[in-house]
Amino acid sequence: WPRLSASHFASCQAPSRDAVRQLCQQCFSSPPAGLATLAQRVCPSLAAGPEEAEQLVFALHSLTRHVVYRGLTKAEDVLSLFPENFHQNLKSLLTKIILENISAWRNEAQASQISLPRLVDMDWRVDIKTSSDSISRMAVPTCLLQLKIQEDVALCGNSPVVSALTVELNKETLDTMLEGLGRIRDQLSAVANK
Amino acid sequence: SSQQFSALTELLFRFLTEPKEVERFLTQLSDFATMNKISLGPLKNIVKSILLVPNGALKRNLSSEQVKADFIALGLSEEKASYFAEQWKVNSPTLTRLAVGQTLMINQLIDMEWKFGVTAGSSELEKVGSIFLQLKLVIKKGTQMENVYIELTLPQFYSFLHEMERVKTSLESFS
Repeated sequence: WPRLSASHFASCQAPSRDAVRQLCQQCFSSPPAGLATLAQRVCPSLAAGPEEAEQLVFALHSLTRHVVYRGLTKAEDVLSLFPENFHQNLKSLLTKIILENISAWRNEAQASQISLPRLVDMDWRVDIKTSSDSISRMAVPTCLLQLKIQEDVALCGNSPVVSALTVELNKETLDTMLEGLGRIRDQLSAVANK
Repeated sequence: SSQQFSALTELLFRFLTEPKEVERFLTQLSDFATMNKISLGPLKNIVKSILLVPNGALKRNLSSEQVKADFIALGLSEEKASYFAEQWKVNSPTLTRLAVGQTLMINQLIDMEWKFGVTAGSSELEKVGSIFLQLKLVIKKGTQMENVYIELTLPQFYSFLHEMERVKTSLESFS
């Protein structure tokens, strides 16, 4: 990963601490493809040329992502990532900011990892079928289950696509399903108790 | 003759309770025709008309007396009409169940497959250790089957299981 160099920061004016904090967050969250745009956006506030801004943004992105990837939690581990001649105060500040955000960033990484479409919500209702074209009188209970499914976050970026799927289950199907779900629960307990 | 009539009736009801066995029914019909020296063509027409009666009876939820009355009105003898009505009474639970089974279902859930495992690592996190659960739902949309894949977290799974148990309680209280 591109090594952080003191020069990346030298030509930039460090604005407020909060601005640094925000920049770190933005650099972590941005996918690699969005870094160039991010650099352009923050350029004016950093009082740096476009090239320096880009180098800085890329470096911060790599640093924060590396810390999260390796699961570093100790200040020493993060500090050791900086080169020797790095500005002391800035090094401490960045380390502090990173450590503060580690668990939130870990959750963010997990939430956005590749997966099958995810269940985000479910609703159900039970209807009684009273009549149909094949039989004029009956009283058959049936279940309608609505699943809200979100497509892979990695594919949708900032505008996740959520679709609703409604399925109908009769009593037999429900019983079979519950049998399957029960088996999953039993296996999960077995794994947990090991 | 009444013997022939009962044999034919039996044939008809066997078909009605197993509507998928069309080949078998046609074979049995032609055997019946040969045995009794009736020509197959007219027999088929008669059978077609007779079959309309039980189907209509199902749609209108007729009792066996009403079915008997219908047959008598159509010109069948009292004895034969009674026999048919009896057969109808005996077979109606099966026939009702079949009719209910044919009733429209929207996106019927046909099957569910599952697997669960542990995510060991990812491109963003070297070590993860989180449990995932994946479900494959097979759904009948119109005449075609569609597979839907979804992933659930553990809390979502327990919540889903809990809700499905509530559905079962609800369905049972209405049965």
